[in-house]
Order: sequence, then structure tokens, then C-alpha cells
Amino acid sequence: MRSRLLVALSLLAGCRPTPAPARDPVPLSVEEQRTDSALRLVLRAAPGARINAQLKPALELADGRVLRFDADSLSPDSAYYAEAPVLSLARGTALHGTLLASVCAEGEQVCQLVRLEVRTTPDL
Amino acid sequence: MVRPLLTVGAAGAITLLGALALGSAGRSVVEAQSRNPLTGARLEVRPAPAWHNASWLNTPGDQPLALADLRGRVVLLNFWTFTCWNCTGSLPSLVDFDQRYRDRGLTIVGMHRPEFPPYAGEHNKGNVAKALAKYHIAYPNAQDNDHATWDLYEIMYWPSYVLIDRRGNIRYEGAGEFHLHDGEYELWDSRIQTLLAER
Repeated sequence: MRSRLLVALSLLAGCRPTPAPARDPVPLSVEEQRTDSALRLVLRAAPGARINAQLKPALELADGRVLRFDADSLSPDSAYYAEAPVLSLARGTALHGTLLASVCAEGEQVCQLVRLEVRTTPDL
Repeated sequence: MVRPLLTVGAAGAITLLGALALGSAGRSVVEAQSRNPLTGARLEVRPAPAWHNASWLNTPGDQPLALADLRGRVVLLNFWTFTCWNCTGSLPSLVDFDQRYRDRGLTIVGMHRPEFPPYAGEHNKGNVAKALAKYHIAYPNAQDNDHATWDLYEIMYWPSYVLIDRRGNIRYEGAGEFHLHDGEYELWDSRIQTLLAER
């Protein structure tokens, strides 16, 4: 049966929302990958952005638990993920929480905290 | 099966992309709007607001250091966290500035502002102390765990810098990693020397 998904509710970065044009691209996205037994959430950085590997991205669930994303492959200096960090869960898991990731702009060499509200639903 | 889960852009995404698109002369959106694009000098000088951080390191007895205590000195504020590679990459330059200019009137103040909640360890004073030792930092550092000073100075990025003159006015602001003797280092060095020369 086709899985169902409720998409992101909002994205907040830094400490203060800043009004901005609506058509600007997004620095992060999360892909859902489903296998027979697992639900994988894969965190993708936009071109020009890197995900800080010294602060493993976290999914803070509404019930207080904190789940961490991770990947084996890092940049040579171990500062950033060289492959997309993943959070693996049992298939059918329903999630509602806030993703936190430290995302760094490659050219400008600055970092910013990005927050994404995440909600998924189990398979129907 | 691969499908996009999160694709909704909102305020923060734009903020970050503002950083991604910045030129080297003006490092932040705020800076671009209120700074001379060639020199980085503030077009409107404003008094530096007083901070009220309670937890300090590298001060006598780890007692709080007030901005008012530094009147008459040039102050370079550095907003950073030890989990930020761009932040730690700049520390050798700041240590160099401290060693070269402290006796001439410069005080560098580190504002350690965690990115993540306490479970990541950034709020722990012992961890900050280890980082100060690791990077040979002798200048004062405050813990800005409630990000009150970060907010007060309207900081957006790690690392960020605020240069305050002897009269307590903010004169230069910027963000981004720099290294010993690169262009950004030379720019900040020049700014520091300019303010130190003022009486």
C-alpha cells in the first residue's frame, strides 16, 4: 500500500525568523526512503551548503526523545558530512518533531542553525 | 522509493541563503545594508550594548567582565562555538591579535554561543574550558548559553565579529572564517590598528 506522508510544516533557522521573498531556494531538504523493513530519513544540503558533522543533526520528537542523524563518510578534516546523514527507523514509524542541523555556507565559511518541523505518518 | 519530505522554504532558509550569496567585502545581510561596502565601516555608529553574561572563563576568578570595565580599550567580540569548524579555524588569528595588541589596548572577548540544545555538550563550561586550552586562548570568554548577547547584538552567523572603539561604539561587524595573514585577517588587523590609533 502506498505510504503516506505529511510534509514539512515550517522551516526556521537562526534565532529569529527574517522576512524574505518566497521564491528563494531552500538550503536543506529531507528525503524519505522506504524499504520493506525500514524508514530512512536522508538529510540533503543544497548546493553551496555543508552539514556540520561535529554537531550530528538531531530530530527532537514531541515526546521528548532526541534521535540523531549520522553518516560514515566525512570530509578530510572531519568537519562536514561527505555523504548525506541518515536516520533509520522501523518502517511504519510515525514521527512528529523538529530537526536541528548546523549548516555552513561553503564560500562564506559561516554556519547557521536550521530548524525543520517534521511530521510523517505510518503506512496505510 | 525516494520522495522529498521537506521542501518548504520559510524565513530561516532565506536567512541562510543570504549568507550563501554574500560577497567577500560584506559578510552579512545586515552588514551590506548598513556598512560602507569598501571599508566595512558602519555608516551609522551606535553604542555597543552592555552584556550581562554570568558565566566567564579566563577572567580573574572567572568573575564577570562588563563592557563598562573596558571603556578606553578597543574590544573585539567574537561569537563562536567549539563545534563550529569555521569558528575554530579563526581562533589562531584571534590568538595572534591578542598577543600582538593586548598591551596596546585591545581586549578580545569570546562569546561562546551554542548552536544546539544542552544535550550536544556545548553548554558545559568544562567543555568550553577544554576548547580554550586546546586553542591556546588566553583572552576572556563568556558563556552565552541563553543567547542573550547574541540577540542583543543581532548576530546571525557563526563565527561573527564586532569591533568596538575606545568610546564604546560599534565600528565594524562581520562574519566568516579567516586565517593568519589571509585577506580577511589583514582587513581585521587594519581595522584594529585604526581603532587603537584613535585617542
